[in-house]
Amino acid sequence: MSAPAFERPKPTPSRESQPYWDGLKERRLLIQHCTNCGMPRHYPRPVCPHCHSMESEFREVARGGAVHSWTVTDHPFNGFFKKAGPEIVALIDLDAGGPSGATLRVNAPLRGIAREAMAVGLRVRLVFEPVEEGLVLPAFEPE
Amino acid sequence: MTHPLRGKAAVTGIGETAYSRGTTKSGLALQMEASLAAIADAGLKPADIDGIVPYFPGGGIAEDFIANLGLPDLKLSAFVPMGGASLVAALQMATIAVSGGVCRHVLISVGRTGYSGARVSTRLQQFPQFALAAEFEAPVGVFAPAQLYAPGARRHMALYGTTPRHFAEIAVTIRRHAILNGNAVMTKELTVEEHHASRMIADPFRLFDCSLESDGGAALVVSATDAARDLRQPVVQILGMAEGHPDSPASIAQRADLLEFGLVRAAPRAYAMAGVGPADMDLAQIYDCFTFTVINQLENLGFCKPGEAGPFVMEGRIGLGGALPLNTHGGLLSQGHVVGLNHAIELVRQLRGQAGRAQVAGAEVGLVTGYGDMGDGALAIMARAA
Ligand SMILES: [Zn+2]
Repeated sequence: MSAPAFERPKPTPSRESQPYWDGLKERRLLIQHCTNCGMPRHYPRPVCPHCHSMESEFREVARGGAVHSWTVTDHPFNGFFKKAGPEIVALIDLDAGGPSGATLRVNAPLRGIAREAMAVGLRVRLVFEPVEEGLVLPAFEPE
Repeated sequence: MTHPLRGKAAVTGIGETAYSRGTTKSGLALQMEASLAAIADAGLKPADIDGIVPYFPGGGIAEDFIANLGLPDLKLSAFVPMGGASLVAALQMATIAVSGGVCRHVLISVGRTGYSGARVSTRLQQFPQFALAAEFEAPVGVFAPAQLYAPGARRHMALYGTTPRHFAEIAVTIRRHAILNGNAVMTKELTVEEHHASRMIADPFRLFDCSLESDGGAALVVSATDAARDLRQPVVQILGMAEGHPDSPASIAQRADLLEFGLVRAAPRAYAMAGVGPADMDLAQIYDCFTFTVINQLENLGFCKPGEAGPFVMEGRIGLGGALPLNTHGGLLSQGHVVGLNHAIELVRQLRGQAGRAQVAGAEVGLVTGYGDMGDGALAIMARAA
């Protein structure tokens, strides 16, 4: 269970997902929305699965959410993360999905809490973490 | 009305290499060795094989089988790219081919050097099915299957009170079965205490909740049932089979219900085709990439209600002599990781009455599952022909 890599794996944005990554760089959480039926979707993709429209736009959404589930990266499967040590990485249900019924989740490290205190439903807020030149990643902290 | 595929195909040959950690052979050599063994077990010649559904990506493709086995007239070359569900889903593909008159004898096989070659977290990054995980999840440190599947286990624990003790019961029972098999990587008894003391990999998965990285090959031959009757072995028919795909198949993170695998869709179809249900199974071979994955599949398969599989696996139920012996060969957790083809092989061996010290007395009908690619599922129900 070892891997030789010592660099953070980089996202390789697609034509569809580029606005999401650009938004993070500007400290804005941008989520793709169908301009025909209004439904949000994440991760970004070309077609709305609800109405099949291919027209969409990215809208800034609220950064609050709740823990859906989590893991802790006790074993680093990549040398880069060995340096950081174990982190809680949580699946967060964004509040922005709520009114539409859409599942909008962000998978990201949750800072400032012990693993023993983790629970489903815990309230959190997305923060922006510049991790290296040109790359801002999402993270969460307790609300 | 009887489903047109019901009982139309039979597994006529099975073959395995030794399972090990450390080999000098290539994955392709292991795959061919197992393939030749399966063909011989059926009483066939390599030239009788006219269809192949190998594991993909990774391993031999049609060109390799023609070149190595000297196949004179291959009529079908197909892949079912569903990760750990691929090779059980391949049983459906093979059944379609032999019942549709395209082929007579289809070879399903896999060979891998999971221990001696590239490790799993390295391989997955190259699969197209993992593109979303690679873009959105790998950068925050989540890319190995243990990390991708762990939140489902955590959620099950939070919702239903499932505990590490339940996980341990699965690991310990399957280890006991591996020891009986004789061809298994793990050969020492495992205790509940040793499970609980093993190091944490991806909370809540400890080392002994995770399947092995091992080297080995496995293969089986699926034949038209009318051709099977003339061959060497007792006939084991495929009564029902199905594959199923979950919501948000390429991202567990975006799946509304983390605990609803593709098996939820596949299982009712396979039961309806076979004309039997979970209560009729004499044994089951459940894809055990992680202990928790077994718990979730038992619920998805209808052996118990959602949330009840933790208590379900206790008190000897899943061991030999219990009501539902599971993974009587040692599974991916303790025998070897050949993407679950060893589970299908063990089901056939049990139904033939050839399972040696792990034989389930009077085994007549059982099922095998595959699980992979973050939630794809497949199952096949087999029975000894009267
Ligand atoms: Zn729409």
